[in-house]
Amino acid sequence: MTDLSVGDLGTGKRERQALARRRETLSQGAILIIAIVAVIPVAYLVRSNLVLSLMTQAVIAGVLATSVGFLIRQSGAVTFGNAAFYGTAAYCVALPLKAGLSLPLGIALALVIPPALAYLLGLVIVRIPGIAFSMLTLAIGQALSELALKARWLTGGEDGFSFALPKTVVGLDASFLQRPTSMLIFSWSVLVLVLFGLSLFSRSRYGRVVAAIRENEERARFIGYQTVSRRAATFALSAFVASIGGVLATLYNSFVSPETMHWSLSGMALIMAIIGGTQLLWGAVVGAAFVFFAKDWAGDIGEHWQAVIGVILIVVTVGLPGGISGAMMQIASRGSRLFKGRGAP
Amino acid sequence: MIEGHNLTRRYGAVAALRDVSISVPEGEIRGLIGPNGAGKSTLIDVLSGRAENASGRVSIQGRDVTQLSAQERRVAGLGRSFQRTNIFANLTIADQLEIAGFTVSEANVDEVMAELGLLEVANEVAGQTSYGIQRRVDLALALIGRPKVLLLDEPAAGLSAAESIALSRHLRDLVHRWKVTVLIVEHDMEVVFSICDRITVLHLGQVLTEGTPDQIRTSPEVVKAYLGSAA
Amino acid sequence: MIVQLINGLAYGGLLYVVAVGLVLIFGLRQVVNFAHGSLFMLGAYVGYVISFYAGFWAGLVVAIAALGILGSLLDIAVFGPLRHRGPMTTVLVTFGLALILEDFAQAIWGKGLRLQQPPPFLSGTVAIFGDSFPVYRLAVIAMAAIVCLGLAIWMRKTRVGLFVRASSVDPEGTAMQGVNTDRLSILVVGLGTSLSGLAGVIAAPLLSLSPSMGSYVLIDSFIVVVLGGIGSFSGAFLAAILIGQIHNLGVIFVPSLAAVIPLALMSLVLMWRPSGLAGTAA
Repeated sequence: MTDLSVGDLGTGKRERQALARRRETLSQGAILIIAIVAVIPVAYLVRSNLVLSLMTQAVIAGVLATSVGFLIRQSGAVTFGNAAFYGTAAYCVALPLKAGLSLPLGIALALVIPPALAYLLGLVIVRIPGIAFSMLTLAIGQALSELALKARWLTGGEDGFSFALPKTVVGLDASFLQRPTSMLIFSWSVLVLVLFGLSLFSRSRYGRVVAAIRENEERARFIGYQTVSRRAATFALSAFVASIGGVLATLYNSFVSPETMHWSLSGMALIMAIIGGTQLLWGAVVGAAFVFFAKDWAGDIGEHWQAVIGVILIVVTVGLPGGISGAMMQIASRGSRLFKGRGAP
Repeated sequence: MIEGHNLTRRYGAVAALRDVSISVPEGEIRGLIGPNGAGKSTLIDVLSGRAENASGRVSIQGRDVTQLSAQERRVAGLGRSFQRTNIFANLTIADQLEIAGFTVSEANVDEVMAELGLLEVANEVAGQTSYGIQRRVDLALALIGRPKVLLLDEPAAGLSAAESIALSRHLRDLVHRWKVTVLIVEHDMEVVFSICDRITVLHLGQVLTEGTPDQIRTSPEVVKAYLGSAA
Repeated sequence: MIVQLINGLAYGGLLYVVAVGLVLIFGLRQVVNFAHGSLFMLGAYVGYVISFYAGFWAGLVVAIAALGILGSLLDIAVFGPLRHRGPMTTVLVTFGLALILEDFAQAIWGKGLRLQQPPPFLSGTVAIFGDSFPVYRLAVIAMAAIVCLGLAIWMRKTRVGLFVRASSVDPEGTAMQGVNTDRLSILVVGLGTSLSGLAGVIAAPLLSLSPSMGSYVLIDSFIVVVLGGIGSFSGAFLAAILIGQIHNLGVIFVPSLAAVIPLALMSLVLMWRPSGLAGTAA
């Protein structure tokens, strides 16, 4: 049927594609390092502790928003329940510290328990299609939140509780957790590492299979894949990222309360992910930054930032599927085209 | 080889299949024909594990697979294509075939693409190619890993008569080389008579008769069933 | 004890009126209206404002009318045009709308609680069998019952009502019968939102007004709809009574679990029979 050889288009091309993937990983690794290094001068140049604090909060919110955006991008599933994992992780860190146990223990619990819970839950609920899945995550997340609220003896109830951070952690001086500059650098590094890890995942075999399952779950089974366990694992990975956010948040605040598990927090994370754009992995971070700083930048309208967010959410949902990050990329590519003299597409 | 014993499947009160037994020996190409509603697609669905709540037994290469899911049957060496194109629309053709190849011991992606003429369009997004190409992708997904048994549900559906014949002849050649057992549902009689070794005729959920193409062509029961349903 | 039962019935009645609006909207447009709680809140405030000038009942009428018109506009501008986009789109859009409405209410009336007195006719208590019951609670139950009855009659005796019932059960089939679902939707969605507004006005003396009163009721009404069976009006009625009782009695008998039980029930139903919500993807 064709006089092109297999080598030109088949194995040869796919070997080249595999090579390209490896190169992409390397270049992303370089971006990772640059990003972490670049924040250091920023952290020291910003004088205002308030701004540093806002930036750190935005980064932490960015982690939670990324967990939601990642699930949408990878699995096509919308969850209203990630705050439950976020909050549970926060408590996993806080409770041992309150009891005088070590911080590494708390962090280990925080990174294991919520994702494990999510995986087990996922095995059941990923079978549920469509909006029902989302409503289910809403109900389950809120149920956990209510349980936390009522278990006063454990969680401090509505008031929550604060706790003291240790002086040292694994032999290192832990005061970096108290200072705004170092906390920003730390949180940002964690966020960038998370994004790098998720990128590796989505480009791995496992991630590609999950993407195929998102595209056509039935055919994925007919070509030999257990779809339920893989989708549950992706859900667990999303919970894992949310847990990381919870760890950061609780370390940052030295305080924890069941409010961190409320569905409205999940809802806000979802909004950040949507506004920022779910087609790109880092879109949710852009969304988080936007939501956090819109209040200040908007000036007078800033008083009504909730309505502004609502309007933008509607606009993005209806007309701007790539979100802010997608728009940024489009502008950038048009800009580079003009710059290279090729003119507008 | 693939065998179905006493397969019955109901949709509510209606029995789409009633006590159907079929046995396709190794290397044979069996045609499955019958008027609309005869239960052909249902039989494929039951054999491939797509239909639940069916009674009876299914075995592949002598091994009972009745309790196995569709995914497990795939791993056991069963491949199937779909009457309504069932591919990964937003993935490239090469990508989805590669992904199909991860689950088999010998992923023959290039071989399948070459056989079905998909090399030139390998890097196109499947949903953006022509209908004919998408049909071939649907087929290709089933052929990855050289399955031992192939269930084909109208692989040439929607193709022109010429494309139909060409694809079918190529398919026959391919399965003979690979020594695959095939059960193929087809409406196009020319295709059926030209490539099938034997033919099973279904009517109203039951096996009407079975035989070589010549026997079927001249069978009075078959003629009656087809004419009777057209009347 | 009976007082608690009455309170539970009153809250259940409120939930029923809100939930039935959701059922109507879902039945016709297959959308989960995340703005429903905010419309409830808006109705309460409209009733509140009007009641200063013309009394409680005028406030009630104006709120019903205003929310009805708002709902019809919502259908024309949002649900209709977006109906081919998949259910998640309308969820997000109505979510955004809820944010906007809450901000709007905050801007005009502030975040604080405002109290609303029940109309003088329905204030105070009445003695029945030696116990005294707040009249207003009984009135709420009565109003919910009237709505229930009215809907039942409407859906059985009028052409439009029959179409709505048919559409809730089988939207595609009904559309194929030649019923103009678009025009029907404008009417029915408006009816659904007006019911939410009605519930808001009625709720105001019970729950007090605040811009966030909508979010409390939103989740509970979702639970009622799911438990009752998506698209089922009688199911919503029974579920509302159940949730209302759990809400009130639960606080007495199993305070730590009271809020969790309805959510757990909703989760179980969604896992067991997601068909209503799930089977309607575009």
